[in-house]
Amino acid sequence: VRSQLYQPQRALQASAVLRRVSDEQKEPLASSQQQFDSHPTDHQPEKEPQGPRPSYTGQGGQESEDYESEEQLQHRILTAALEFVPQHGWTAEAIAEGAKTLGLSVAAAGMFHSDGSELILHFVSQCNTKLSELLEQEQKLVQLGKAEKKPTDQFLRDAVEARLRMLIPYIEKWPQALSILLLPHNIPSSLNLLTGMIDDIWQYAGDQSTDFNWYTRRAVLTGIYNTTELVMMQDSSPDFEETWRFLENRVADAMNMGNTANQVQSTGEAVVQGLMGAAVTVSN
Amino acid sequence: LPAGGVSLRLCSTRVSLEGINKPVIDRIIRVDHAGEYGANRIYAGQMAVLGRSSVGPIIQQMWNQEKDHLKKFNELMVAYRVRPTVLLPFWNVAGFVLGAGSALLGKKGAMACTVAVEESISDHYNSQIRTLMEEDPEKYKELLQIIKQFRDDEREHHDIGLEHDAEAAPAYSVLKTAIQLGCKAAIFLSERI
Repeated sequence: VRSQLYQPQRALQASAVLRRVSDEQKEPLASSQQQFDSHPTDHQPEKEPQGPRPSYTGQGGQESEDYESEEQLQHRILTAALEFVPQHGWTAEAIAEGAKTLGLSVAAAGMFHSDGSELILHFVSQCNTKLSELLEQEQKLVQLGKAEKKPTDQFLRDAVEARLRMLIPYIEKWPQALSILLLPHNIPSSLNLLTGMIDDIWQYAGDQSTDFNWYTRRAVLTGIYNTTELVMMQDSSPDFEETWRFLENRVADAMNMGNTANQVQSTGEAVVQGLMGAAVTVSN
Repeated sequence: LPAGGVSLRLCSTRVSLEGINKPVIDRIIRVDHAGEYGANRIYAGQMAVLGRSSVGPIIQQMWNQEKDHLKKFNELMVAYRVRPTVLLPFWNVAGFVLGAGSALLGKKGAMACTVAVEESISDHYNSQIRTLMEEDPEKYKELLQIIKQFRDDEREHHDIGLEHDAEAAPAYSVLKTAIQLGCKAAIFLSERI
């Protein structure tokens, strides 16, 4: 399973905000400028470390056993925020709402970019991980003999469909997410996540090419994935059946392309041999 | 949470990638694969010109060993999930041209090319061995063994080249320098793209 968790940035500001947050929670509840939960739930002891203040540079000995790294906290906030995306879009509001459900101050949303980039990248990364796990399980079943090995075209179709289905709960706001992912400062990360996912799918599909095919296959699958995603944005058919049909046609095209390329090559070779034979005959 | 760590389960064609320095291993396997691929094409080019001459069998023998090397790196590439260099089609042509071109200079020219290339490759393998030893000789034991074996093979090719009058080739030192510069450039590029 490829674990490619996207790592939010702005560490220094983040630690300042978190310290503020943990300060606020330690104070007796006199006035409340923010609305946050005064009763941290049992399963989240990490927000209120007893003893020394959380250190973001310290290792080992300074941390209590429940110490949660900043990164982990950010991931938890973003995961909680996803629930509010259909309503608020990929925005700081959704993140603020998510922080609230964890009992944190809404100021925690200040840890992140105001355009929602981290939230989207976190979501994509999570989906990719889920896909990898799904493919891993399928592979185990095949290895144990409990399932049939799928032909390549069906494997690719099913993998892309499974991945795209994860967008369904957020489909209304997904076009917005796509445009944010194309912003220059997000392109390295989003490209990384995309290529990682495509590589994963091919790995599980059993690709073992060590020549230029490695690139051709990934380029073709990336094209299929991206175009199908765009079709899905416009699709209003029941359960997106138009999209899956589009996907099936594109994958079939890709398979044909491979066959055609082989045919062209064999024809070419045959023609060359024919010409050589003719030349030899003529010269004799 | 491991930053940039890749974890894989064991499978018949793959090794566990837990805890290995992926960027370093990636580079090593990518460039070695490119190198063996190029060497294959060089010998193919030489055989195309000198296949029927007296040095034909010797070149064929060295070529066969390079084929084995390439096969091994193909396996390692799949096992470690390494991306091949995008320049492969280019090395395909360049290698063949170099082999054929040097062979057109005569048998000694071909041997000179072999000496130059094999010297570059064995130096390069040596520095990789050093890198891996510095990293963790135990973790990379299998890889180290393979590279050491291949380095010894390339060294042998180098010596065979010298035995067959490589140094008597026309413009030997110029030829050798030029080819080794080319090899350095190829190594630099293949590691990265």
